[in-house]
Amino acid sequence: MTDISKIRNFSIIAHIDHGKSTLADRLLEYTEAVSKREAVDRMLDNMELERERGITIKARAVNFKYKADDGNIYDLNLIDTPGHVDFNYEVSRSLQSCEGALLVVDATQGIQAQTLANAYLAVDNDLEILPVINKTDLPSANIPGTKDEIEEIIGIPADEAPEISAKMGINIKDVLEQIVKSIPAPNGNPEAPLKALIFDSCYDSYKGVIVYIRVKDGVVKVGDKVRMMHTGAEFELVEVGTLSTFGFNPKGVLSAGEVGYLTASIKSIADTEVGDTVTLADAPAEEALPGFKKVLPMVYSGIYPADGAKYGDLKDALEKLRLNDSAFVFEPETSAALGFGFRCGFLGLLHMEIIQERLEREFNLDLITTAPSVIYKITDKKGEVRMIDNPTNYPTPDEIEEAAEPIVNATIITPTAYVGSIMELCQDRRGVFIDMKYVAGDRAELHYVLPLNEIIYDFFDALKSKTKGYASLDYEHAGYKPSKLIKLDFLLNGENVDALSFIVHADKSYARARRIVEKLKDNIPRQLFEIPVQAAVGGKIIARETVRALRKDVLAKCYGGDITRKKKLLEKQKEGKKKMRSLGSVELSKDAFMAVLKLDE
Amino acid sequence: MKDLMLYFHIPFCVSKCAYCSFYSIPKAKEELKEEYANALIRQTKLFENSDKYTVRSVYFGGGTPTVLGVDRLEKVFNSVFETFNVINNAEVTIEVNPCTVDKQGLSLLKSIGVNRLSIGAQSFNDKTLKLLNRAHSADDFLRCYSQARKVGFSNISADLIFALPNETLADFTHSVNSLIELKPEHVSIYGLSVDEGTPLFKNKSSYAFPSEDEEEQQYEVLCELLKMAGYSHYEISNFSLPNYESKHNCGYWQRMPYFGFGAGAHSFFKCRRFEAARDVLAFIKNSHISFTAPTNYDNSVPLSEVEAEEERIMLGLRLKRGVEITKPVPKYLLDNGLVKKHGNTVSLTERGFRVSNSIIAMLI
Repeated sequence: MTDISKIRNFSIIAHIDHGKSTLADRLLEYTEAVSKREAVDRMLDNMELERERGITIKARAVNFKYKADDGNIYDLNLIDTPGHVDFNYEVSRSLQSCEGALLVVDATQGIQAQTLANAYLAVDNDLEILPVINKTDLPSANIPGTKDEIEEIIGIPADEAPEISAKMGINIKDVLEQIVKSIPAPNGNPEAPLKALIFDSCYDSYKGVIVYIRVKDGVVKVGDKVRMMHTGAEFELVEVGTLSTFGFNPKGVLSAGEVGYLTASIKSIADTEVGDTVTLADAPAEEALPGFKKVLPMVYSGIYPADGAKYGDLKDALEKLRLNDSAFVFEPETSAALGFGFRCGFLGLLHMEIIQERLEREFNLDLITTAPSVIYKITDKKGEVRMIDNPTNYPTPDEIEEAAEPIVNATIITPTAYVGSIMELCQDRRGVFIDMKYVAGDRAELHYVLPLNEIIYDFFDALKSKTKGYASLDYEHAGYKPSKLIKLDFLLNGENVDALSFIVHADKSYARARRIVEKLKDNIPRQLFEIPVQAAVGGKIIARETVRALRKDVLAKCYGGDITRKKKLLEKQKEGKKKMRSLGSVELSKDAFMAVLKLDE
Repeated sequence: MKDLMLYFHIPFCVSKCAYCSFYSIPKAKEELKEEYANALIRQTKLFENSDKYTVRSVYFGGGTPTVLGVDRLEKVFNSVFETFNVINNAEVTIEVNPCTVDKQGLSLLKSIGVNRLSIGAQSFNDKTLKLLNRAHSADDFLRCYSQARKVGFSNISADLIFALPNETLADFTHSVNSLIELKPEHVSIYGLSVDEGTPLFKNKSSYAFPSEDEEEQQYEVLCELLKMAGYSHYEISNFSLPNYESKHNCGYWQRMPYFGFGAGAHSFFKCRRFEAARDVLAFIKNSHISFTAPTNYDNSVPLSEVEAEEERIMLGLRLKRGVEITKPVPKYLLDNGLVKKHGNTVSLTERGFRVSNSIIAMLI
């Protein structure tokens, strides 16, 4: 059993591109020699196994040894955290599994919104925060300025912060020494009933669900019958161990303070929710660890195969993704315009983009996705509350007593030069200003309450373009707020295209309608007859454009009976037709459809 | 006896037209032309079972066939008539460009059995002809045309191009009216396509091309004027006075078998479509082998039933008379006056002709 006083559990938190994964690699590299000696036998087995299976399981927690200057060998557990606002809850559970966090700050950029959000999360979880100044080798690095910022904004001393270059491998040892010295050893009672926090899980087709845990109290070992305290699911453990860079290390037992994994031929990831507490079925803990929250999707979008025949493939792919991602939900839906597809729920925009990209890349699917929608809370005239995640199901105005939309508390950190344009942007996106602080040097931190609906529309892109990418945004959900919402419908040739409908604030409906109608006009290929393109609110037309009829095709010469050009042209048209969606009598290509939904200005 | 049409490709010309993206050699040496003519003759003679076909049309196209020289053309023609069973009323056409053949030459062509001329006019505006790098003026065309009449050609076709750079509707109307005044039996019209790799494409930014609307207008005026002058729009790109429809042209669209001789010539033979190698020297070098069996062609693949059916519809719809289609025609094509239907015969209307590609894609 590992000596609990020699265990150090930590995460690395950083703004994107500040060097989190590079530092992680360096730490592992630096300590590899020690770990290697221990792992060498197993390594061969594991590598062979992995080669055979053609997969490498992504270690969400790596266990490695470090021989410190004090002569002791320490057992370090590095717990990975997803670095985006969409996964805030997962981040908080990962942090809950640690006693400390390395806060990596890029010396050329200083503190960014995500640095701050993550730092606050770490503070909330009572972690010891060790600032690390990275990229100190770059000419534009401002080390004293960055340290000042850390002290001023986050309020932790930064004097002792290691000044490193993860890329060049400079001062990595300083970081390890600080981890050992400053991060407290875990305190847990191995004699108490088992309490282990699930901070991640993933599905493996051989082992079933692999559950990543931090043992808070007690001991867990192979053969134990365990219970998930929130879901109530019970399993008999098949494998218990740690993960090193060399793969699984099924040591059979984990005790208080340790981080590792367990497997039990668990078929469904839904049984092992992040934040749940694992205890022994026969000698359960009295109460679960605090802070469990069921993660709920915040953003919904319809996903359809571009080729209707691929519906089954899409379904299989979604099911496979869902195996590994309990936050992702989907159910079949039918659109008059797009045919059979799925309504999918995501934690946020990034999560949505990741899933869509994986579907297209890993599963080779050509997709049509509808505009993302938040969940609206509608109280109807009878006083019943309905949650609407699909504009198609939005009730008619006369049924609605009150409509409310989700809002977020947003933090934006920006060079002061852009404060004006950011305020303008937030105002335009219906933001409510809370406060602004000038922070170290020439930067400001702004707080706004913003409708989530505006954020998923084009806020990120607009913020980026208005501030040349210098401003950073982070937000947390802040409940619902009543709002003047209406549903915009679009008609092609007089027929409603359900997949294009969306919910918008009344004040913005006209401008948004105009823009979409123009986009439709520009993107619908001219067809054999004139097509009116209209936007409507509750049956009233508020914008109209016309796609003029195609009047002429190319009339080129067929020389000497050479019909190959003609054939090629028709093949192309036919090929294009396959990708066309017939919306009533109007044919719309996937590209045209996506162009309309593309959110850029 | 099976029906067959013959095509002879002469990939030589006086000079490259600015819009031409086809394979043809300007200013070829006399020896090359001689060898090419001999190769064509060899190929003709090697044609297997030539006596089993009834040849209904012979067409010499290019390039500019007359650049081969009328004497050589005569030799080739003679070998064709000797080898094949060319029926009495067969259509025998040669493409001609003004300034590439004189009155004597035309007379010789007439005497060896050519009964139809297709003369490239393209435009009656000298500025445009120059811009297109055509080797003739409007007057040259008129002279050539009247010489052809004088030596007795009673079936003449002329080509016009619309949507030409720097041409206004008035310029184009001038061309159409000038042509109608001459009363050719047949008129072919094409929209200019600016293909990549042509000089025209390279310089396109320095010209004013008619807008889509102007192009449409030109086409409308053209159709209207020709109709008023008694021409029938019997095929998408072709007009004729009564009974002067081109048999060769119609044959292409009715999927009559044809065999193409010469470098880069296309064939539709034994249910296969194939193209001979485009390189003139390679063609000459291999001309001692019979190309009659299509398997000799690398790129020859027999058409599948589906392909054949799609072809039948795609090609058949080019003709005013239409084609038999049993599957249902989208109602809005009929409602919008783009397509007509009599029984199972579907045909494009005048308006339908203009957007034929889009309609055909819908009907196959």
